[in-house]
Amino acid sequence: MPMSISDPISMSIDTPVAVWSQLDQSRAQVALSGVVNVYSLAGVWSEVRQKQTAWLAQGGGKAQSLLFDASKVSSLDGSAFAFLIDVEEAQQKAGGQFEIQGLDPKYQPLLQEFAPISNLFPDSTPKPKTGFVVSTGMAAQDLLDDARGLIIFTGHLTADLIWSVRHINQVRWGDFVNAAVQAGIAALPIVGLVAFLIGVILSFQAAIGMEQFGAVSFVGPLAALGIVREMGPLITAILLAGRSSAAFAAEIGTMTVNSEVDALVTGGLSPIRFLVVPRVLAGILVAPILTLFADIVSIFSSMLTMQIYGIPFINFYNGMLAAVDVEDILSGLLKATLFGVVVSAMGCLRGMQTGTGAAAVGISATRAVVSSIVMIVLVDGIFAYISYRTGF
Amino acid sequence: MDALDNAIDVQNLTVGYGSNVLLQNLNFSVKNGEIFVILGGSGCGKSSLLKNLFGLYQPLTGDVLIEGQNITTAQGAERQKIMTSFGVMYQQGALFGSMNLLDNVTLFMEEYTQLTRDQMNLLARCKLDLVGLLPYETYMPSEISGGMQKRAAIARAMALDPKILFLDEPSAGLDPITSADLDSTILDLSKNLGFTFVIVSHELASIYSIADKVIMLDKDAKGIIAEGDPKVLRDTSKDPRVHQFFNRIMSKDAA
Repeated sequence: MPMSISDPISMSIDTPVAVWSQLDQSRAQVALSGVVNVYSLAGVWSEVRQKQTAWLAQGGGKAQSLLFDASKVSSLDGSAFAFLIDVEEAQQKAGGQFEIQGLDPKYQPLLQEFAPISNLFPDSTPKPKTGFVVSTGMAAQDLLDDARGLIIFTGHLTADLIWSVRHINQVRWGDFVNAAVQAGIAALPIVGLVAFLIGVILSFQAAIGMEQFGAVSFVGPLAALGIVREMGPLITAILLAGRSSAAFAAEIGTMTVNSEVDALVTGGLSPIRFLVVPRVLAGILVAPILTLFADIVSIFSSMLTMQIYGIPFINFYNGMLAAVDVEDILSGLLKATLFGVVVSAMGCLRGMQTGTGAAAVGISATRAVVSSIVMIVLVDGIFAYISYRTGF
Repeated sequence: MDALDNAIDVQNLTVGYGSNVLLQNLNFSVKNGEIFVILGGSGCGKSSLLKNLFGLYQPLTGDVLIEGQNITTAQGAERQKIMTSFGVMYQQGALFGSMNLLDNVTLFMEEYTQLTRDQMNLLARCKLDLVGLLPYETYMPSEISGGMQKRAAIARAMALDPKILFLDEPSAGLDPITSADLDSTILDLSKNLGFTFVIVSHELASIYSIADKVIMLDKDAKGIIAEGDPKVLRDTSKDPRVHQFFNRIMSKDAA
């Protein structure tokens, strides 16, 4: 059978390729033999080094000479050099002598490439630890930088949105349609599913409590009002954050990593106008539409649930009309529009802030979702305060 | 066929994607210890051929034997064993972005060898030293230049001291000095340690100084149009396409 492919892993078990022998107190020898490679050296390497260390410790290092005999080697590779260098370095460190014997001259040029070998053993300096004050300060600085980035981005985005309104023909409508389809139509099933579930849970939980007071008929109006004012916009926005904000961040992030964003800038084009504006416009369009869809599905599922408690559709409907005004629906949709803006803008911002490498894109997508949800909560809070003050 | 002499045997290989055939019915072999260079204009299928050779893509038809073992049909453990017998450097480096250079090189050692952490680190430093990147061992791939990434990728390809190295355009994007250093390292490894190199390259200067044998591919011929020593081909080839390539003649002047 021809010696076709060597089986490196099983070969290591046979005979040791390096043997340590101590001739006397001041002289020792390492004899290499056979096929020396990265697999056959495993184990032997450590063994030889341990014996060498013990020997050097015994003799105090000085005037101890080690002979490295490579005359019986049939083939060696880069790992053999590393082994040789490791032994030589230990010898040098202790102040002893080191000599190579019988090494095929053809290996000399490669061995020369590693000189001086001390470069291969860098001093391991432990990283200086940062103190509590320093790390707190740095965290605060990061926060400020982030806030600053957000403010600058908001300014640019506002300017470019106004520009787009005035130059309506120059908006990248193709990108807008793509983003709207991806963020909108493709999101209908998941939004519908979650909205249905929320409608059921909301009315069920409310009904359990209200039943004790014989007020089950009020569950319909309560659930409907909660859905159109709060739950509809909120679940839609959170789903948009999870789906589209992350998608925008990953897409623009990959473009940043590949220098595509730089190419836009050096071409004299605004990346905000090219990349962000179409996506934010798509967010503005799809968020209220998805919210309206979520409202309808939720209220329908609530209606179905209340059937169990013996409330007919018509009673639910009438109760709902009494409680929910057009104003309430509009208020919810306006809020959804704002959510659409912040969710898509945060996704784009995090995408543009992407560092380098594959991991950075993942980090950007994660940051986009987290920031979007934080912004949703913030906008919702501000909106709640305003509607409490103004009654809208 | 002599498995002892040939590191790689390519038999009736057809390379392509679906119905798009790039190269048809290739037959050639790479001898042990040889520096074998694949040439050809852009888009003629050099990189695709390389990916078929090291088993990343399945050829449309034909076989590739690596040290006598058929990589196109091998499965499981047998395939993994063939995979550890060669190293690959991709055109863009393809370093792992989340690890520094040293960890990039030690990754495969961790998986396949029993060495200790210190031994792996020393071995990895030797590899980085060979490609001139020793001072950068703690750098992340994103912190070094494109040319350095390529060299680090070569160091990673050599991690387990495989007998065969596939390099996809190793010297493209390197400065002339670094490129010459790299050539001399390749020559050292080949002549002294007996490494076999399969290299895709356009750099004529580098090809003349290192290549033992070249094959030249052509998009229209869908196959090999010239084979042999590059200097001999340059001086004696009658084929206008080969002549044009080796003498850097512009296409409009060639006709």
